[in-house]
Amino acid sequence: MNKFLVTASVSLALIALSSCTNKSVVRYGDATEVETTNINFGSTDLQKVASQMTDSLLLSPVVGTLTVNTRPILFVESIKNKTSEHIDTESITDSISTKLLRSGKFRFVDMGRVAAVREQLEFQQNSGMVDASKAMAFGQQVGAQYMLYGNLASIVKSNKDKSDVYYKFTLRLMDLKSGLIEWADETEIRKSKEKEFVSW
Amino acid sequence: MHNFFHKTRLLLLVIPLLSGCSANSFSDLFSHYSQQMNGVKQAQQQGNFQQAISLLPTRSPDNGNYSLGLLEKARLEYLAQNNKQSRQDFAQTYELVQQNQQAAKIELSRGIENIAAVMSNDNAIRYDIPLYEQSMLNSYQALNYLAQQDLSGALVEVRRANQVQERALKANASSIDATKKSIADEKFSMDNLSQQYPSMNSAIGKVKNGFQNAYTFYLSGLLYEAGNQKNDAYIDYKKALEIYPDNHYLQQDVWRLANTLQMTNDINLFRDSFARTITNKNTFASNNTQGEVVIIIENGIVGAKQEVSLSLPIYTRHNDMRLYSVALPRYQNKLTVYPPLTLTYQGKSYQAEEIVRLQSLAAKQLQDQLPIIVTRQITRLIAKEEIRQTLVKKGGDLGNIFANIYNIATEKADTRSWSTLPDSIHILRLNLSTGTHTLNIKINGVSQAIEVSINQNKQTLITLNTIGTHVGHNIFNL
Repeated sequence: MNKFLVTASVSLALIALSSCTNKSVVRYGDATEVETTNINFGSTDLQKVASQMTDSLLLSPVVGTLTVNTRPILFVESIKNKTSEHIDTESITDSISTKLLRSGKFRFVDMGRVAAVREQLEFQQNSGMVDASKAMAFGQQVGAQYMLYGNLASIVKSNKDKSDVYYKFTLRLMDLKSGLIEWADETEIRKSKEKEFVSW
Repeated sequence: MHNFFHKTRLLLLVIPLLSGCSANSFSDLFSHYSQQMNGVKQAQQQGNFQQAISLLPTRSPDNGNYSLGLLEKARLEYLAQNNKQSRQDFAQTYELVQQNQQAAKIELSRGIENIAAVMSNDNAIRYDIPLYEQSMLNSYQALNYLAQQDLSGALVEVRRANQVQERALKANASSIDATKKSIADEKFSMDNLSQQYPSMNSAIGKVKNGFQNAYTFYLSGLLYEAGNQKNDAYIDYKKALEIYPDNHYLQQDVWRLANTLQMTNDINLFRDSFARTITNKNTFASNNTQGEVVIIIENGIVGAKQEVSLSLPIYTRHNDMRLYSVALPRYQNKLTVYPPLTLTYQGKSYQAEEIVRLQSLAAKQLQDQLPIIVTRQITRLIAKEEIRQTLVKKGGDLGNIFANIYNIATEKADTRSWSTLPDSIHILRLNLSTGTHTLNIKINGVSQAIEVSINQNKQTLITLNTIGTHVGHNIFNL
């Protein structure tokens, strides 16, 4: 009888404990800290890819000669997502173009905002609210000379002990006039995760 | 007598405790999933998808049927054309599947579920989404992305679906061997079971395994083609053809791409096996004023698992044979025949052909799982017999009655499965000149005109859902 009471109360106490041990805490962290929450494409991968690519592009001798006396105008086409994850590849190109702009060697046109620009110019030209002599005119923008584009591919494998994912990011710079690829580079990332042996 | 009440009190305490820490709620343990879904399926049958969604039982995230509930909801949202909500629910389910795959080798919570299952029934174990259901999850998710004009998102889902099918192929061989071995260890032979268990052979038909889904391959081939990845498309069409070698639309696509990609070896092979009408077509004549229309037709609702009671001879620990009544899940051993969709265009009529029979995949999956289910069932019988004997010893007749009531109440087969899926899926594919066309289709005796615009060298996808008298459609310009 006593034994039964003890086991019953112990198990009840355990259940009660397990339901109230979790307390949520909000903290600020380092944005560049290595993140390994799970095996999927994460912030560390994005940062690694973006910084390696920009370093490689800026240090390349070809680009050195391209940027001797001018600041070439680039446009970012897109990074094609060929992985099996839903990855915001625009975020990768944003990081890369921001870093390149910060270097002061390149200038960019943004194809993603063409519609907004058109709307604004139409407002300036046609709404009657803007001083006509100071309104921006159509047809005075500068065209891009180079196109930046790339691929993000992955190979995923797993068995009962571990899972492994390999990412390959390729970036290319094309001269729009000649169609030649002036520069290309790739970064690889390999992540693997061994399964825990025991968990709840 | 006094002692007996202590014992029963112990048992009474154990049951809620088990259901408390095991994955499932009380009602899931003592009623059939297929019965719980009856109302939902009726509403679905009548095309009242919103009502069906409202009838779905709500489950908390730590309920073992949570992922299954999400699947049902996402599928109904898809039918109701709430693609955004459907996408969210499928995404959440996919995440749960991923977590499950990467979970530790030994999960203590699963151990407790198994103990609970030994004390009650298989419904206490959390629902693991079988592979054919996973491939359907990714297929619907791809269509949800297409509904938002996101081809690259849809292609991600297609690649995920292919990973599922690849993994399945690998896992399949080894797991079948393992279960056969474990059955051999038990004091029970599979022959006894196969004599009594109702056959599902007509339901299974010609399906070779419970996971290879030609529809998923076909959809991925189509999307690869839309993404201008012809070689990837060719591989997936060929895989679909392996599963459905007699489907003329598949033969047509494989033949067309084999010629475009100049697969000389394959062309020679296919020339002998394909019908003349396909190989004689001049595939190079695809001029620039044509596009394609692809129709995917979903027919009906997949049948639910039912419970069947069998008397199996089992050897208890004193080596005496006793007959025990056990409850096992089964599918009805028949397939509904769906008259194929007929499309009339410019005086010619075309008929849709089957690309997947989900009912057969489900039945095959169950058949493969059966040895494991029976093994668990035997363990459970022995455990329940032990309880009964103890109670008889302590409580005499009253104990016996109590034990029998408990055993009967808990003897419930696991009838869980994704039950809002279609029963069968057909395809139809046609070359049309560019511009707007009105297609006259006839299905289930209902005639309908669908207006489509065909773009040059592009595919226009029409997805049709026919359930009962409901016919709904969606058009995607790929």
